[in-house]
Amino acid sequence: MADEFDAFLAAGLAPEEREPDRAFVARVQAGIRLDEQLRAERRGMVGALAVQFLGVVAIAAAIVWLLRAPEIGAFASESPAFLLLILLIAFSFVIMLFSSGASSQSPVRAFSDA
Amino acid sequence: MASQNDEDLALSRRAAAGDSAAFAMLVENYERPLRAFLSRMGAADIADDIAQEAFLKAWRAAGQYDGSARYSTWLTSIAWRCRLDELRRRPRAIEAQKAEQAEDSSGAEVSDMLARLSDKERASLVLCEGHGWTHQEAAELLGLPLGTLKSTIARAKSRCREMWSGAAYG
Repeated sequence: MADEFDAFLAAGLAPEEREPDRAFVARVQAGIRLDEQLRAERRGMVGALAVQFLGVVAIAAAIVWLLRAPEIGAFASESPAFLLLILLIAFSFVIMLFSSGASSQSPVRAFSDA
Repeated sequence: MASQNDEDLALSRRAAAGDSAAFAMLVENYERPLRAFLSRMGAADIADDIAQEAFLKAWRAAGQYDGSARYSTWLTSIAWRCRLDELRRRPRAIEAQKAEQAEDSSGAEVSDMLARLSDKERASLVLCEGHGWTHQEAAELLGLPLGTLKSTIARAKSRCREMWSGAAYG
């Protein structure tokens, strides 16, 4: 009876004999492709963010450096509203530039392309 | 077995270098035992999702496979962790399904018997008695001392034998 039970158990627990499931393999491969695509998008976004951060830092440094010049410093103290307007226009331009770059790298677009 | 490990190691290294065709060969070779094991662990409908997630993680970590263990052991340990994560995420759905299986079971089939065992009893029994794993491999996977694993298997077999005898002769 013991042998009979052991044979019953071993036969019941062994994985069934069959050919590889090609549909499952294809599903895994599709998942991997999507994962790779999303990771590439993430890497691209991090890179773009770093570039944008450097750009903002460079612009801020340039503004500080300009304001330290005596002529511009005097102009700023005489008409701060005009200087503020120039800074706002420059800031809007930077925002427009960055947002147009970001929309061309949208992960949603990459996902729908996949 | 060593040559199989070497072959799998070579495929895994190619996969780590980005060769998806090499990885597809590993998936072809190991999807059958992995999915069989996961479906034996209950919640058959999510077994394929867990298997797919495990293969995705194996792809990402392909460079970490060093060939010291069998590829199936390495892969199953990834799947086991995925399953534990899934249990934490959806404990109620999985437990409800297991309870349903146990309730429906008559005790005559292996799946009925497994439904009445604990998680670790079931896993150790399936791996060691059905998939040809060594006790050491199963103990490492389940995080049990070797002696505890052996007694777990003995207890599980004894309970299955009782159910089988009851169904056959009772």
